[in-house]
Amino acid sequence: MMDPVRGSLVLYALFWLVRINGCIRRGRQPLLRGREWFFDVHVPPDFYDGAGRRLLHHYWMRMMMPFAVDIPIATWIIMSGRFVWLNGLVAVLGVFIHINHLISVDLAERQARKFALDEPVAAVMLSLTPRRLRQYVNWKLELALIVTTVSALIWGREHWKPLAILLYLHVGLVYVKHLIVAWRRPVPREQAEEHMAVQEAKRKYYLATLDWWRGVLTMQVLVWPAPFVVWFVFAIVATIVVEIKRKQLARLALRARPVIMPDLLDQAKIARWPLCYAPSAPLLMLKGARGYSINLANTCAVIGLAYVAGFMVLGHAL
Amino acid sequence: MLLTIDTNDPRPIYTQVADGIKELIARGKLAEGAPLPPVRQVAADLGVNLNTIATAYRTLQDEGLIVIKHGSGAVVASRTTTEHSPDELIRQLRAALTDLVLAGFSTRKILALVARELK
Repeated sequence: MMDPVRGSLVLYALFWLVRINGCIRRGRQPLLRGREWFFDVHVPPDFYDGAGRRLLHHYWMRMMMPFAVDIPIATWIIMSGRFVWLNGLVAVLGVFIHINHLISVDLAERQARKFALDEPVAAVMLSLTPRRLRQYVNWKLELALIVTTVSALIWGREHWKPLAILLYLHVGLVYVKHLIVAWRRPVPREQAEEHMAVQEAKRKYYLATLDWWRGVLTMQVLVWPAPFVVWFVFAIVATIVVEIKRKQLARLALRARPVIMPDLLDQAKIARWPLCYAPSAPLLMLKGARGYSINLANTCAVIGLAYVAGFMVLGHAL
Repeated sequence: MLLTIDTNDPRPIYTQVADGIKELIARGKLAEGAPLPPVRQVAADLGVNLNTIATAYRTLQDEGLIVIKHGSGAVVASRTTTEHSPDELIRQLRAALTDLVLAGFSTRKILALVARELK
């Protein structure tokens, strides 16, 4: 059995390897469709000779931000000998890198839109075919998760506090799955089939990722606390699987030409960043001038906030 | 089962939504008793005002095509509209045919067009 200190150091080293790969991938992302595109924005051919070069450099600099946070903290952890804290740092940085990437891409696209060649599409299509969570359920997996969780609850009562938190997280992930299945977006009338195929592939990818996380939580419920080696093996397998799936998804996404969707609500006027209340526009998020704004008039937004508040209360109470 | 919204279409969006659903019912893609997504959901998905979809659903309800049940959404009531009498519909058809003839469409072309739309 690997001792926790060595395990933490190995995990941190592995994290760096994965990050370098991720950095290269994210660095190439703006030019994935060729030099006539900046992410999903169609730009003039000389874009990268002028403003585009500056936007690209700014995007790359923003991608380096997690390193600026990580290096001093990791140095301090190692110098102070608290090696096990590296595990926490890896978990926090994993979330930070993803959020930083999402915000950076959104910002870069908004800045590039001033130079966009395309106008918003005129005609959009929305599928009215009902979609239910049960259509996307892997019943064997669900059965395994239920049996495992119930067994752990029966035989592991002495650890009920962490089990309660893990179950709460489990319920949250199922709710997110429900949201992903229910969420629809219109597609442009041109290339409608390609766009719908991409949407479906993305939906399945996110659902599979959530199932992975639910599997991890169930594993934690079963063996609390899970030995480090279990986490280590899981991290490697998950990284490989996610990387393969992500590449498949990226290849599929390239087949659908990105378009600017029409703004039928004039959202920039309604949405005040970062929160707004617009009952007449029941979208979860509205795209304002400064970025996405969470609409508190949307039921899912309210349930989401209540869930986070409930998590804090539960954490405090236990 | 696709609903199309075209910003270049002179019809208001609520009419486009109502006509789109009506067409799906007429083509049999939305059968009697089939549930329609709730007003809030369609408005959120399409990114339009809640009242736009509510007006479209009310129009369909007035025509007897759907039944709106508060709290449980809307369902397709019937494939026959109660709003227009047969005489009125024949008048509308005659007017549309007159417009097509005046626009230079041949009888064969009009018949082909009607056959295509009925498919």
